[in-house]
Amino acid sequence: MVMDILIITAAVVGFYVAWNIGANDAANSMATSYGSRALTLKQIIIIASVLEFCGAALFGKRVTHTVAKGIVPIELLDHNLVVFGALAALLSAGFWITIATYYHLPISTTHSIVGAMLGFGLAAVSHDHLTLEQIRWDVVAKVVLSWIVSPLMGAAIAFVVFMLIRVILFSRYTSAGIEHVFRYLQVLTACYMAFAHGSNDVANATGPIAAIMGYSGEVPFWVLFFGGIGIAIGIATWGYRVIETVGKQITELTYTRGFSAEFATATTVLAASSLGMPVSTTHTLVGGVIGVGLAGGLASVNLRIVQKIIFSWIVTVPVAAAMTISLYTLVVVFI
Amino acid sequence: MKFFRSVGEVFGYSPFRSLAQHARMCGRAVGLLQRQFEALRLENYEKVEELRDEIDELEHHADQIKEEIRGNVTKSLMLPVDRHDLLEFLKVQDDIINNCEHVGHMVTFRRVRVPTDVWDEFSVLLSKLMEIVNQYEEMVESIRQLIDTSFSKREVERVMEYVPVIEQLEHECDLVQIGLHTKLFNLEDANPLDVHLMVTWVVHLGYIANAAARASDRFRIMVLGR
Repeated sequence: MVMDILIITAAVVGFYVAWNIGANDAANSMATSYGSRALTLKQIIIIASVLEFCGAALFGKRVTHTVAKGIVPIELLDHNLVVFGALAALLSAGFWITIATYYHLPISTTHSIVGAMLGFGLAAVSHDHLTLEQIRWDVVAKVVLSWIVSPLMGAAIAFVVFMLIRVILFSRYTSAGIEHVFRYLQVLTACYMAFAHGSNDVANATGPIAAIMGYSGEVPFWVLFFGGIGIAIGIATWGYRVIETVGKQITELTYTRGFSAEFATATTVLAASSLGMPVSTTHTLVGGVIGVGLAGGLASVNLRIVQKIIFSWIVTVPVAAAMTISLYTLVVVFI
Repeated sequence: MKFFRSVGEVFGYSPFRSLAQHARMCGRAVGLLQRQFEALRLENYEKVEELRDEIDELEHHADQIKEEIRGNVTKSLMLPVDRHDLLEFLKVQDDIINNCEHVGHMVTFRRVRVPTDVWDEFSVLLSKLMEIVNQYEEMVESIRQLIDTSFSKREVERVMEYVPVIEQLEHECDLVQIGLHTKLFNLEDANPLDVHLMVTWVVHLGYIANAAARASDRFRIMVLGR
């Protein structure tokens, strides 16, 4: 009976996290296409919903695996403890995301959930269910490294792509003509972006759910399906407003710039997905935009956001971990 | 709307639209000056004062734009041009409208009596100034295309062609000034106070042309100094 309630709670919270990913993260990655007016709001919502779902359902397995059992060796734990822990992690991440969203902090859902799962592992260690060495620190190190590499890679690819456009195209043709062509190309990168984002970020919701469902090795398709649907609903019910708001802040982005930043971000994120690394799409996108700026493509880039992002990394992981440890301890002690 | 996170912040404040707007205001101020001199010639002093107030207001508005740019172009912004070059350019551009304001006031100090051919010379000088600021405005407006093509060589070359044109016009302006000075100092039966005041006008109108030429030079330094 108690277990049923916990599983239903996990489904609800997991759905909420997926919804928030759709409403905010997916929306942010699509806002560049709206800011440059490559697509209308309606077209973006359709493309984002469909391709985020496809990315999640078809390509979300590896990252889900990493989040579910890559960090905490759940196969070594009693299943009840896994349910408590993963639920505590999901609740903490969901709560932290909500607070951060309310205060417009540029935090990453990915960092929250990884911090929370790590908190679950540490709580299990403190209750002597695991030893400190059993936590997969090598995976943790790889994930943290991917958080550093992904924005840098986004910046590097965007820089090279925009430089090529600059050197090859802008020196020969009129800017109006080039932009006209890139308007269509940006439609493609918008799709690419949505697919890549879905493939990576879905794990933030499905990872803990898969763990709760007794994950052994293969992610059940319906878990990814569930996550994909959550993201799509998030885009359709709230994300469109975020796309509009963020799109209005992004007026400097023309089609060539949007294409460069999106191509770089989607490529980086998809590469991370295939390596099973949970990375932040928004942070990679910020890297991509800075890369375009470094290539001389933007009128103005606010570098202060870099500080903010680094600060949000430093805060998010311990906060999510600490919340999970507290929740887990409460549940284990009282149930 | 409250419930959202945004990457929009990565796009910083862009000063270029405001720079172009400031340049347009300089052009408008010269246009107002030109009308002020026409009103002077017709001895419509009410109109002269009206135009002075209009120039004042315009200069005040331009100052606000200047302050806005200075207040927002911080070190944490990554701009396609050097920040110091940009601020230096703005400072010199601001001299154009400042000098317009000075002349706008000077023409109201005293009602001068002069032969019509002096007024003719003044209108020649004013239309030269108008020509300069028109070219100048066009040049600054092309900053938009420069950014759109991210300073492609072709576009930079096209925009840089304005600078020698403006310098040539400024030189022509100097010649008109010299002629006007000679004429003013040889008005045998004019009131010395009138002559003195008009000479001051000529000098300050020259400052406007000078400021435009220097600002276009600063613009070139800014664009080429990336």
